[in-house]
Amino acid sequence: MGFFLRRLSFYFIALLFAATLNFIIPRAMPGDPVTMMFANATVQVTPERIAAMKELLGFVDGPLIVQFGMYIKSVLTWDLGVSVQFYPLSVNTVLGNAVGWSLFLAGSAVLLSFTLGSVLGIFAAWTRGSKFDAIISPGMLVFQAVPQVVTAMLLMFVFAVGLQWFPTGYAYSPGLTPDWTSWEFLKNVAYHAVLPLIGASIVQIGGFLIAMRNNMINLLGEDYITMAKGKGLSENRVVFNYAARNAMLPSVTALSMSLGMAIGGQMIIEIIFNYPGLGTVLLNAINARDYQVLQGQLLVMTLFMLFFNLLADMLYVLLDPRLRKGA
Amino acid sequence: MTTPQISIRNLCVDYITADGDVRAVNDVSFDIGKGEVFGLAGESGCGKSTIAFALMRLHKPPAFISAGEVYFADENGKMNDIMQLSDGEMTVFRWSQMSMVFQSAMNALNPVIPIVDQFTDVIMRHTDKNKYEAVKRAEQLLQIVDIHPNRLSDYPHQFSGGMRQRLVIAIALALNPKLIIMDEPTTALDVVVQREILQKIYALKEEFGFSILFITHDLSLMVEFSDRIGIMYSGQLIEVASAQDILKNPYHPYTHGLGSSFPSLTGPKAALIGIPGNPLNLLDIPTGCRFQARCPRVEEVCRTTANPLRQIEANHMSNCHLAVAGEAIKFVELETA
Repeated sequence: MGFFLRRLSFYFIALLFAATLNFIIPRAMPGDPVTMMFANATVQVTPERIAAMKELLGFVDGPLIVQFGMYIKSVLTWDLGVSVQFYPLSVNTVLGNAVGWSLFLAGSAVLLSFTLGSVLGIFAAWTRGSKFDAIISPGMLVFQAVPQVVTAMLLMFVFAVGLQWFPTGYAYSPGLTPDWTSWEFLKNVAYHAVLPLIGASIVQIGGFLIAMRNNMINLLGEDYITMAKGKGLSENRVVFNYAARNAMLPSVTALSMSLGMAIGGQMIIEIIFNYPGLGTVLLNAINARDYQVLQGQLLVMTLFMLFFNLLADMLYVLLDPRLRKGA
Repeated sequence: MTTPQISIRNLCVDYITADGDVRAVNDVSFDIGKGEVFGLAGESGCGKSTIAFALMRLHKPPAFISAGEVYFADENGKMNDIMQLSDGEMTVFRWSQMSMVFQSAMNALNPVIPIVDQFTDVIMRHTDKNKYEAVKRAEQLLQIVDIHPNRLSDYPHQFSGGMRQRLVIAIALALNPKLIIMDEPTTALDVVVQREILQKIYALKEEFGFSILFITHDLSLMVEFSDRIGIMYSGQLIEVASAQDILKNPYHPYTHGLGSSFPSLTGPKAALIGIPGNPLNLLDIPTGCRFQARCPRVEEVCRTTANPLRQIEANHMSNCHLAVAGEAIKFVELETA
């Protein structure tokens, strides 16, 4: 438990540090959102109007230290302000609408590619040099090497535009009201998610596959694998309990990193398939100089990254007894 | 001679390399009697471990067994060729009949699963015992090797090197095998622990009556521990004799050289001579005797004629052309100053 608390306090400090950077970077840029808003305005803008606008949008004037205090307070109370672009929606609402879709799309893509990649990697390593290994391992690397935008466009062009097996975009059919208890709606969501999911997964499988395969091959030379075979254990037990179990450890870190990153949005996939996730929100926020949303989104990404890192730390301790102290 | 426990006939193991096939074990034949300790000695790379792995059929590509039979006595004394067993039959045979203590037993335990599982998986695989009975058996085995049973749920990294070695020996004993292969079981341990382990193994052998194939390059250790010893050189068995005989009355110059490379603790001081030259390159094997380039007594016949292992005296075999019964090579003794 001491370990857990130590990690937790470490991550809390990391969060504060990230939040500070989050505060400094937008302020280091010239101009501010309100000036930016009026920059293209043809009418004369009086300082009073600017001040009123600032107050409306929740910008604080004053020394940096005061602004920083307000910012930290808003972070801790989870009050991230009002979106400029979608005024009067709050940043919380804007992000809240998108984060679920992103979690769903990116999360399942990472889990899918991790599972597939690891299982394929285990078999590729176990049957090293076989036809299966010779085709699947380089093949998946080729997919990884092709830019995501190309695979996604190809998928869309062939299966959505050409064959029309799948819809071209969005998370559910227009006109449907989200109702998570309705089987029809869930089916519709799954149907819309197929292409984005494939597009987001296929580029990641190779990485997991190669990592798993290489770990496995390194481990297969270990004496305890030979001994497990010598004990006459079934092949399944040797592969999964002795080899794969140990080869998975480094992949767990890779998995949590990918999950953390994925929340930043599968930006390319989301934009190509017009998926209403954080990636789309981020792009729009940048285009519209919606700093509040931008700041909020960066914070959400930081939080997820830290959370999944913490999760990896915990999992590692669970999976590798050598890391447990004072057991 | 009564039926041996295991009888190895003309075993050949090849490695496929880019420069052609290399025969790492060439036409090796020997028997191990019931309850006997047979030592296999020789320098690194001479094929000792390759034989051990071949007997368990655990060799991995690029190695493969190219010829030979290995007969193993079953409960009824019938000799079965284990090279003919199917892969499925082989997994049943492994450990229940023949188990192995690996070269680096320090790494022979899976670091991420507790010890108890590494006992119970093999016990439950080969017997009808349920989990509870298997754990009971594991506790028994731990007691046999003097480790407290309450440590069963610990992980390998929580044990010292000597204890891990004893754990591996305990796992090797789990199914009362008839033959245990010990591939340099004490190499990674210091001499004190080494002695402790060997005494333990010896006591267990006396108690349970299994045979041991003991592999090491530590000749002095082997002489103390084994009943009979085979000396290997570049994949061939070149001399087989009883442990008392082999270093006192060697017939092969290589054995003589090995004997001269170790100081005696109790005997008179002798010059440590060693064997000049390097081990044979297996890709470039000369006609005749494989030891010719390093042999101090080499003659014309050694360069031209193949030299199979032959009986020199009762219980003493050598492949040296020049060996004549009763005329073993004498050791040069130094005058004590």
